[in-house]
Amino acid sequence: MDELFQRLPFILEGSLITISVSLVSAAVAIVLGLITATAKLSRSRLAKGIAGVYTTVIRGVPDLVLMLLIFFGGQLLVNYIALEWFGYEDYIDVNAFIAGTLTIGFIFGAYMGETFRGAILAVPVGLLEAGYAYGMSRQQVFFRILIPQMMRHALPGIGNNWLVLMKTTALVAVIGLNEMVFRAGQAGGSTREPFVYYLVVALLFLLFTTVSIWGLRWAEKRYSVGVRTA
Amino acid sequence: MALADTGPVAAAAPAALEAEDVHKSFGNLEVLKGVSITAREGDVIAMLGSSGSGKSTFLRCVNLLENPNAGRITVGGETLRLVPGKHGEGLVAEDAEQIRRIRARLAMVFQSFNLWSHMTVLENVIEAPIHVLKRPKAEAVSYGEEILQRVGLYDRRDYYPAHLSGGQQQRVAIARALAMDPSVMLFDEPTSALDPELVGEVLRVIRSLAEEGRTMIVVTHEMGFAREVSTETIFLHQGRIEEAGPPQEVFNNPRSERFRQFLEGTLK
Repeated sequence: MDELFQRLPFILEGSLITISVSLVSAAVAIVLGLITATAKLSRSRLAKGIAGVYTTVIRGVPDLVLMLLIFFGGQLLVNYIALEWFGYEDYIDVNAFIAGTLTIGFIFGAYMGETFRGAILAVPVGLLEAGYAYGMSRQQVFFRILIPQMMRHALPGIGNNWLVLMKTTALVAVIGLNEMVFRAGQAGGSTREPFVYYLVVALLFLLFTTVSIWGLRWAEKRYSVGVRTA
Repeated sequence: MALADTGPVAAAAPAALEAEDVHKSFGNLEVLKGVSITAREGDVIAMLGSSGSGKSTFLRCVNLLENPNAGRITVGGETLRLVPGKHGEGLVAEDAEQIRRIRARLAMVFQSFNLWSHMTVLENVIEAPIHVLKRPKAEAVSYGEEILQRVGLYDRRDYYPAHLSGGQQQRVAIARALAMDPSVMLFDEPTSALDPELVGEVLRVIRSLAEEGRTMIVVTHEMGFAREVSTETIFLHQGRIEEAGPPQEVFNNPRSERFRQFLEGTLK
């Protein structure tokens, strides 16, 4: 038990990494998701095609395999570019945090894209037309009308994606990022008590997801302002 | 040109809005087959027609919510530059800046209100003045409150649209349009979505705007309104203007057989 308390700060420190990976990936995913949804709903065939391939591929390949592919593939690509374009011959190690967040963001961007697409379709077209009719630009209509209107429809989906995303960060341990799962593995190995440490990690995940669910509930309330609840 | 033609024209006010030879097809269906109107300052043009006659489509082509296949739109002497769209959608604005500027001068009031439901009544009214006309917020608020007072909804300024009746929502929508200080107001069947007992309050507001000399194009099914308030009544049938003129003329002596039938049908 003493040993557990000794190692707890080490694991909690790792949980901060877990949280930062989650937040940064979620930000990447939301931006990619908005772009994907907009592309899918656009009139451009090319944009639709690219977005379609993106969501099909990402949703059809396991997260772990994608993570490894993007991590190792990214490694190769960065080094190739450095050598061919800039003549840099030393081997560049891709930072596991950046690789991890980009990969998770890339994966969840596809799911967010579908969430946003559905939510955008739920917004009455007339509200957007009213924006255009009053001289608003596309960007103004997007940020001042479409986003606040679609948020209400998107939040349940965003919430789901966020919870799954948080749990997916456990996978970045395999590419060597020392977040809490990675650290629990180390601590469990050296003390020969893996169950205890993984249990701690499980409880921490449960804590984060529970807090998230409260936050999401608050957000849903906030974005339902002006909606009549019969 | 013959002298007789210039008589009334010479006395007329400058044109606030001209739409010339507007054509629009949806697929193989030709909805507008060349419609032209001129609204001079202070004109109230009532557009009548059975459903499917193209009157709403015409109004939506004027501010390019619908892309016409052909036509010319001129607002306050400025002609909208149109080019063919890339995705086969008809004519689109060549200059995004210009169409925004022109739209800001053509405030539209929709059949289904289209108020932004995530904003309060006042926020709806000040949104475009602040973000499109770049008015300072304090100024937009005080002007917005003044207009809400005028449509009788000042005490509802902090309500959300969902908590208002249809008639109140449409009055807010009219206030939103007025807050832009538009040169022409476009009404797209402003009372068609309202319960009969709420039509009156909205028509009263529109009538008061007509009386203060605002230029308006009103697509409507309200015969009485067209007859009493409009300076010109236009009857659209199958995408063409069938009858046009001062209301006392067209209602009392309709030249077109179709308009006669339409009047008989609606008066029954």
